[in-house]
Amino acid sequence: MNPYVLTVLLSSLGLGTTLTFASSHWLLAWMGLEINTLAIVPLMAQHHHPRAVEATTKYFLTQATAAAMILFASTTNAWITGEWDMNNMSNPIASTMIITALALKIGLAPMHFWMPEVLQGLDLLTGLILSTWQKLAPLALIVQTAQAIDPMLLTALGLTSTLVGGWGGLNQTQLRKILAYSSIAHMGWMLIVLQYAPQLTLLALLTYIFMTSAAFLTLKVSSATKVNTLAVVWSKSPVLTATTALVLLSLGGLPPLTGFMPKWLILQELAKQSLPLTATVMALAALLSLYFYLRLCYAMTLTISPNTTAATTPWRAQTTQASLPLALFTTMALGLLPVSPAIVMLVT
Amino acid sequence: MTYFVFLLLVALIVGLIAVASNPTPYFAALGLVVAAGVGCGVLVGCGGSFLSLVLFLIYLGGMLVVFAYSAALAAEPFPEAWGSRSVAGYVSVYFAGVALMAGLLWGGWYEGSWVTIDGLKEFSMLRGDVGGVAMMYSFGGAMLVICAWVLLLTLLVVLELTRGLSRGTLRAV
Repeated sequence: MNPYVLTVLLSSLGLGTTLTFASSHWLLAWMGLEINTLAIVPLMAQHHHPRAVEATTKYFLTQATAAAMILFASTTNAWITGEWDMNNMSNPIASTMIITALALKIGLAPMHFWMPEVLQGLDLLTGLILSTWQKLAPLALIVQTAQAIDPMLLTALGLTSTLVGGWGGLNQTQLRKILAYSSIAHMGWMLIVLQYAPQLTLLALLTYIFMTSAAFLTLKVSSATKVNTLAVVWSKSPVLTATTALVLLSLGGLPPLTGFMPKWLILQELAKQSLPLTATVMALAALLSLYFYLRLCYAMTLTISPNTTAATTPWRAQTTQASLPLALFTTMALGLLPVSPAIVMLVT
Repeated sequence: MTYFVFLLLVALIVGLIAVASNPTPYFAALGLVVAAGVGCGVLVGCGGSFLSLVLFLIYLGGMLVVFAYSAALAAEPFPEAWGSRSVAGYVSVYFAGVALMAGLLWGGWYEGSWVTIDGLKEFSMLRGDVGGVAMMYSFGGAMLVICAWVLLLTLLVVLELTRGLSRGTLRAV
């Protein structure tokens, strides 16, 4: 893409999120969300093939619907209560509509159906932006409006998302769809603790961004989009073979990796709030997700030498891909558990 | 006045049904023209005459006309207006829905009086809408700059999406 256009689009992505972060008026927050949607549409369709255009169209329609719902809910709230401020929503109709619209924006179940298909149609870098940056602005709005929303609805959204993310990812062979269901499940974890400790929502978001960035960047460097391709990636980069297994297990939430931190703290918070059944269901749903992460680990790492290998070693020239972000995110995805107290201080 | 605004609102609903019933795009653009036109009338009824004029001129006279021409470029040999079978199905369902909701929500003779509301009616020299425009250019300066940036962004987005004519992203496959 023309570098000037790319600059405008990426800076508009930054502008939109910043605008939503900085606003307390619903209209301005809506503006920021729309700027984000607009700016990412050409990035999604830059490879002009029908699959990408289909994904772009689906994404645009769902996000525009969600934005229209936000506008409708905020004008309803302004009409009934006279209040445009985000922190003082007192009308239950408006607040329910707002959370439904924001859940559609970030792909929470049962409004998640667009997510796997859209991510499947994109290249890995755009999919990364979609999974990480585009989640920041709606989650900021969700965190700000959490007190006004029906607690049963929040719990239902969280539980459903984790279960759907777990069950949906089980039958997938395409890596981008697996990462989409992984995103849905992690959003579920973020929502479940929102009404009790919003700091843990932010913590879960932060760690999710690190882990999923590591996953996406690994797949980009290995040019792997299917589980079958993972089986022959070991020869391309043996170091990645080792670290990716750990990154996937971190996504699954196993100690002593970073992914354990949010799940542990969230389960602890749920137990403190006397919700043992919810905590148990969440833990069991995480088990479902762990299964497909383990399947990816097996395909990539547990089939290498001294087993019969599936590929011969290629010529390994110096890579032209940027390796610093991958190294950075991998390190953060694997090694942050010992500094949990510092991270919790960061988000409190 | 109330009856006049009521007529405009009925025309608005008819225009919305005309768009939502999926006819050929340039017939839907006609429905949009009707809806936008009577919407401007309703806006006048609410006291925003300047805003209504601006809307009529820029939205209806500028953007909708351009959209109608572009939709006409995509003309098809057998266009479907509101009488053709599939569209008429949608139209009848929507009319039935409107009739149902009107029956449920219809008030008595004491409801539905639509008076012209105008903030600060006797205490201000400025009308609400013109004053609002002035405020947008003075206090709302930063947001105005952001709106201009977003317009530029939208232009680049559309140009990027339509780049390549028949070989690009949006092509007839």
